[in-house]
Amino acid sequence: MITKDIDTVAPAAPAPVADEPPRRPRKGRRAWDEAPRWQIYLPLGIYLLFTLVPFYWILLFALREPGSSSLVPWPITFEHFDKVWNERSFGTYFENSVYVGLATLVMTTIVALAGGYALARFDFKVKRVFMLALLCSQFVPGALLLVPLFQIFANLQLINSLVSVIIAETVFQLPLSIILISGFIRNVPYSLEEAAWVDGCNRFTGFRVVVLPLLRPGLIAVGSFAFVHSWNHFLFALMFLSNQEKQTIPVGLNSLMSADSVDLGALAAGGIIAAVPVVIVFAFIQKWLITGFSAGAVKG
Amino acid sequence: MKPIMKSSMRRSSSRGARHSVAAVAVGAVLALTATACGDDGSGATGDKGADGSGKGEITFWDNNGGVRTDVWKEIVADFEKANPDIDVKYVPIAATEYQSKVDTSIQAEGLPDVGGVGAAMLAGFAAQNALEPLDERLAKSSLNGKLNEDMVKSLKAAGGGDGTLYSVPTSANNGVLYYRTDLFKKAGLDAPTTWDTFYEAADKLTDKDKNAFGYTIRGGAGSIAQALDAMYGQSGITSFWDAGNEKTTVNDPKNVAALEKYAGLFKKVTPAADLNNDFTKMVAQWDSGTIGMLNHNLGSYQDHVKAFGADRFRGIPQPAGTGGKRVQVSNPVDGLGIFKSSKNKAAAWKFIEFVTGKAQNSKFNESAGQVPSNNDAGKDAWVSEAEPTKLAAEALTDGSTTIVQLPYYLPDWNTISKTDNEPAFQKVLNGSLSAKDFLDTLADQLNEAQAEWNEQKG
Repeated sequence: MITKDIDTVAPAAPAPVADEPPRRPRKGRRAWDEAPRWQIYLPLGIYLLFTLVPFYWILLFALREPGSSSLVPWPITFEHFDKVWNERSFGTYFENSVYVGLATLVMTTIVALAGGYALARFDFKVKRVFMLALLCSQFVPGALLLVPLFQIFANLQLINSLVSVIIAETVFQLPLSIILISGFIRNVPYSLEEAAWVDGCNRFTGFRVVVLPLLRPGLIAVGSFAFVHSWNHFLFALMFLSNQEKQTIPVGLNSLMSADSVDLGALAAGGIIAAVPVVIVFAFIQKWLITGFSAGAVKG
Repeated sequence: MKPIMKSSMRRSSSRGARHSVAAVAVGAVLALTATACGDDGSGATGDKGADGSGKGEITFWDNNGGVRTDVWKEIVADFEKANPDIDVKYVPIAATEYQSKVDTSIQAEGLPDVGGVGAAMLAGFAAQNALEPLDERLAKSSLNGKLNEDMVKSLKAAGGGDGTLYSVPTSANNGVLYYRTDLFKKAGLDAPTTWDTFYEAADKLTDKDKNAFGYTIRGGAGSIAQALDAMYGQSGITSFWDAGNEKTTVNDPKNVAALEKYAGLFKKVTPAADLNNDFTKMVAQWDSGTIGMLNHNLGSYQDHVKAFGADRFRGIPQPAGTGGKRVQVSNPVDGLGIFKSSKNKAAAWKFIEFVTGKAQNSKFNESAGQVPSNNDAGKDAWVSEAEPTKLAAEALTDGSTTIVQLPYYLPDWNTISKTDNEPAFQKVLNGSLSAKDFLDTLADQLNEAQAEWNEQKG
């Protein structure tokens, strides 16, 4: 479809030299290069304005003094951060969220690797049904399963334990992660694994030595999604954790809001504490994340 | 060359595999060890008798976590000091999530010992047989006769119609009209004590070019109760039901006319963003903008003091209608209940007695800016010093105000007054649904719920 369009747009383009990869039509490229800068930066600027204003609002409320209506956070105060971190237990919530996020990341990645490998490399009778079941499981909202999950965890004495949230988050992350990882594994030529077997590796070693390093973008995509989702997820933590010492950041943020009154400074400071790890994670992994998604999603 | 490669690869691979497996196993064990130690979620972990010995640990769920957390922590610390053999696990839960958490926990048998049980949620919890009757305990308690009788009656009425007390009142709230005294003075306006002066001030204080508005209306979550307050306040109708207690008065022509006038304020004298205003946005908007008036309750008083200082605004009871007659709808009384599943009810009751005693009830309500349930606490000096609380307490007790009791006892009340009709009220505000059609639909739902209720009561 893309090739056809290019042919239609640029029929007179010179035939590429046999050794060179096909190029983008020069006409389109030149038009893009010669576009006035404002046509690029204006829409980007408007988009950024809509994106950054809410962040500025949060920063403003978090850093300005209580009762101030100034539009600039000056004089700066860290009173709100001190309050939420020390008085409202955000230090504990943060620690719990890190546990939940990292454990979910590790468990999701390991199980998704095993499941994805099986889907990509083995043919078995119910493979299609299994894939369909994985896809269908995405349509079930977590809220529907709250009561049965609560009872299962209660029987296992896991209520008020972070393990319950880690298990629930992992289970809900797995379908999409398995599908994504299986796409990445399919993109790794089977012949590479066969070559490793010829060199004496067993299946697991061949996978670990040859395939796994090539899956780095995919693992980062799946792992980061698992981490960010469990970091932000509210419902399971709210329902399964009733001990304040076990609660996570989203529940802590929610508990800052009373029915009749809200300390907006504390809420904004809590919001920044909640957002910073996610921003840092994305800043470090964005390169691999984009590679990962384009490789897994488009070609898978 | 090849065999060497093969051999080294095998060795390093098997070593690496062992290391990986060991690392994952150790990591998993450490993570699970660090995070485990849960329980079955049944709340009480103290004595296992029907009532308990009054010692051990109890869990308390606060139904309105947030700014009240600090005062609750103080009260819990005071209680533990006075009762060294009882530990209280305090859990603040946001008001918006409280009902769903309790409902889920009722189904999953994961309730705490004590919880906040306000009038608005009481019927639903009682209908699920989750609450312990408290009449006998109160009758034998030193609290007997010291709690505000109206609040006790209100909670008894909300609890299922059989007159059983499932929740001991801690405080009452009341609708307040907050207005900016500086803006009123500048515009030469009198205090908005009547609905006529309210509409006049809303109009005069609006200057859209300068982003100044006369009023901010609640169009998002919680909009129905505020609209009902405005309707009954203007119409002067004093009962929610007709004489036969079967048909609601919400769609009475006087109420329809009042709602038309009230909804007509939207965008004329209010910001357009009010369509999605829940109380958080509404209060934040009023505290940070140039808006003349705001309807909310006593709970946000401290927020306004922080924003303006105590001398740039006032909080007064709702405007009076024709002939100086003031009619308001009831605000839910808040209270504490014991859940039936508790295995340590004796300790839970000790906690409730302590919290609703004079000293702690006064401390709590001074912090929350609400009307104390303990009669002695209501006489404390701070009550007369906080003007909105003082005026609200007077309005509730001096006979100047008629309170229209909302049907909190209907198990469907919350669904009808929130989920089912808040989106429809937004349509009324933006003009795509008439006030009459909206109120007729609301009336049909209420009448049906009331009929079911009457039938169940026999």
